[in-house]
Amino acid sequence: MKIVIILMLLFILFSLGSAMFYLVKGQGKSQNTVRFLTVRVVLSVLLFLFIILAAHMGWIETQQPAFLRP
Amino acid sequence: MSEASKDQYYVPHLAKWPIVGSVGLTVTVLGAINLLNSENPGTPWMLYLGFAIILLMMFGWFGEVIKESEDNLYNTQVDTSFRMGMIWFIFSEVMFFGAFFGALFYARTFSVPWLGGEGTGLSTNEVLWNGYEGVWPTNGPGDLGGRFELIDPYHLPLINTLLLLASSVTITIAHHALRANNRSQTIIWLIATVILGAVFLFYQAEEYIEAYRDLNLTLSSGIYGSTFFMLTGFHGMHVTLGAIMITIITIRVIRGHFRPESHFGFEAVAWYWHFVDVVWLGLFIFVYIL
Amino acid sequence: MSHDITHDGVADHHDHDHKPKGFVKRWLMTTNHKDIGTLYLIFAFAMFILGGAMAMIIRLELFQPGLQFVEPDFFNQMTTMHALIMVFGAVMPAFVGLANWMIPMMIGAPDMALPRMNNWSFWILPFAFALLSSTLFMEGGAPAGGWTMYPPLVLQGGHNVAYLVFAVHLMGISSIMGAINVIATIMNMRAPNVGYLNMPLFVWTWLITAFLLIAVMPVLAGAVTMLLTDRYFDTSFFNAAGGGDPVLFQHIFWFFGHPEVYIMILPAFGVVSEIIPTFARKPLFGYVSMVYATAAIAFLSFIVWAHHMFSVGMPLGAELYFMYATMMIAVPTGVKIFNWVATMWKGSMTFETPMLFSLAFVILFTIGGFSGVMMALAPVDLQYHDTYFIVAHFHYVLVTGAVFAIIAGVYYWIPKWSGHMYNERLGKIHFWWSTISVNVLFFPQHFLGLAGMPRRIPDYSTQFAEFNMWSSIGGFAFGLAQVFFIYIVWKTVRGGEKATGQVWEGAKGLEWTVPSPAPHHTFEDFGPVDLDKMAHGKTH
Repeated sequence: MKIVIILMLLFILFSLGSAMFYLVKGQGKSQNTVRFLTVRVVLSVLLFLFIILAAHMGWIETQQPAFLRP
Repeated sequence: MSEASKDQYYVPHLAKWPIVGSVGLTVTVLGAINLLNSENPGTPWMLYLGFAIILLMMFGWFGEVIKESEDNLYNTQVDTSFRMGMIWFIFSEVMFFGAFFGALFYARTFSVPWLGGEGTGLSTNEVLWNGYEGVWPTNGPGDLGGRFELIDPYHLPLINTLLLLASSVTITIAHHALRANNRSQTIIWLIATVILGAVFLFYQAEEYIEAYRDLNLTLSSGIYGSTFFMLTGFHGMHVTLGAIMITIITIRVIRGHFRPESHFGFEAVAWYWHFVDVVWLGLFIFVYIL
Repeated sequence: MSHDITHDGVADHHDHDHKPKGFVKRWLMTTNHKDIGTLYLIFAFAMFILGGAMAMIIRLELFQPGLQFVEPDFFNQMTTMHALIMVFGAVMPAFVGLANWMIPMMIGAPDMALPRMNNWSFWILPFAFALLSSTLFMEGGAPAGGWTMYPPLVLQGGHNVAYLVFAVHLMGISSIMGAINVIATIMNMRAPNVGYLNMPLFVWTWLITAFLLIAVMPVLAGAVTMLLTDRYFDTSFFNAAGGGDPVLFQHIFWFFGHPEVYIMILPAFGVVSEIIPTFARKPLFGYVSMVYATAAIAFLSFIVWAHHMFSVGMPLGAELYFMYATMMIAVPTGVKIFNWVATMWKGSMTFETPMLFSLAFVILFTIGGFSGVMMALAPVDLQYHDTYFIVAHFHYVLVTGAVFAIIAGVYYWIPKWSGHMYNERLGKIHFWWSTISVNVLFFPQHFLGLAGMPRRIPDYSTQFAEFNMWSSIGGFAFGLAQVFFIYIVWKTVRGGEKATGQVWEGAKGLEWTVPSPAPHHTFEDFGPVDLDKMAHGKTH
């Protein structure tokens, strides 16, 4: 499950990077910058929902210091 | 060749703000050094003075640039130079955060397990830190700072994640609205973004207070405390900076700056805000949850 | 052609109108790339002399075994400050100065892309070095833990830790802004008909260097920030008791440090690649392969950092990986060396001072490169590590490499900057004086290192005495030669034979199409340029 989270994070980074690329290439005229930024916002929301779901279903464990572990 | 002609690359003459900035940086840094090195520091006036000079420089410098931009002195080529400046600045920020994330990953995958006796760390563990279990999160085999508890990720950090995500959504809506030349919508959504950012900062401060007061989680809580506070702290500084920049952009939109087809200042700030949000996602996942 | 002449006439006319009057306006508030380049070069020269004076103190103490002149702690301050000043204060600013002066003229741009920021990049540096140097006069003295700032040693430095960290932050800010400016200039400010593969190699090497700077200076800033918090805020990044690791600092530092090495040498490759074709009167051999080799070196520089740490105790797999990765760097570097040699093959060569320094660069840098390959071997590096062999190696690549290239560049372009030819006889004396003395200075250090003399130690066992004495004599002679260089530069700036616009018979490039001295503003109309005048204008 961790791998899904990390992959989604990579996709988000990729769309953010693409938006940066078109920030220079598109000169503000093309739709690409704002489109990729929208993609990255949607992906982030999905990732967030997935994390909630995964925690709820017990797919991922949150960290605890050794002396507090059951 | 008049300097105002738009088909020429605009080269400013006589920049008075950089030297002010250098003096400001130096005063700030000296103020910080004195603060760190003195036994009982009083009010750090020098630090404040330095900040004041830097602020003055920023107002003066950006004011000059904004005026030149609105006076139509910049052609598309100048615009491209600014764009390149911004993306490579952000790239340098990514590398700065990279150093701290690198420290976090190194501690989690190498140094803590080694101290716990994994791999070649076996004898180190036996001789020096016998009985230490190298499991993250930890304040190290020396139990530095004493026992601590963790921030519950599904309480304040979750709310904060929601807040920042929402602020990304609002700034994206503002971005679309500006492109559609819908100014009142742009202003409303920009103000919403600033408010969400400010609430985020408020909760972040709450979280630090809780950590210090109730959980005994401090900067001196070993490597966990170090990475936790440094990563979230630098992120918080960037949120502050981003919120200030969005405020300035909002004022500029209210004053009628920017056009649907040319609004680089807006795009740069929006992109910065997205970058800050993605860094937070990384923090939420690697610092709080996994 | 007529276009060029009218253009120059216009530029010349503007020169008288636009050069600001008065010291403050001309230098403190300047946005002109040539003035800022001059500032960088003067600053770098001043730092070179300051760092050189520290080296003289080091060589004086090492002249004989035993402790004669300075306290051991002061000796350590000297080695630390010498390195910091030479790396961040002399070599890097000197190359930024050359970039400022030459890049806009080489690609037909009216100025750097972000002129105001250009001013700021420079004017942070004097403040940063004033901060750093002020520690010399404080109680407890300057940082003495080595320029690599390894914890926990450096954290025992007392009050100077904060000065060191913030000075490095300021230098980083300056370098990052300078690099952003170089990238924006090269990518956005080329004359309309100049493509990437028409650019002179000096421009190419600087473009790649600028990427390296932006990628690694923030990492250094992160590393020293962690030092600061470990020292003043009780964090445990580099403290094993808290779960951190002192070796973590070395990893982060050398992730910066190894690309930093190429930041100091890639522009030197660029300078030499300009000079050798001019005096061999042949185009550069293998231009495109030079570009690829530069990019390959830059890429490799990110994945070899731990070869500085073979003796620290890494897992065996890591040692093997970093050993093989490091040796791969020899391939693109070899491509460059052979290309320079092939450029000279059957050329009609003359040996003016810039050419002499460039030839010395090719030969002596290669010696430094070979000793580099030797210590890339993890098992034998355990013997070389932290000995004078290392000191000899990096001084061959940095002094006879980077510094010689800077000196060659100054001789090559000073007629364009000042409008006067330097005195060729004095230049040749300077060359032979420097080249002989620098080898007397550094070559014996190879033997000292192999025999086991450790670096950063003010005293040594008597069997090292003779080579150390030779080394010190060479050191004093080399130091004096650079004072002589100041005299030559001063004399050239003040007067001398008038230089033509072309200056060198075999030189090609846009910078030679403008008069000497170059007018205050060049290429103001930003129109297409004559590609025939460029060394690589037509061939690709």
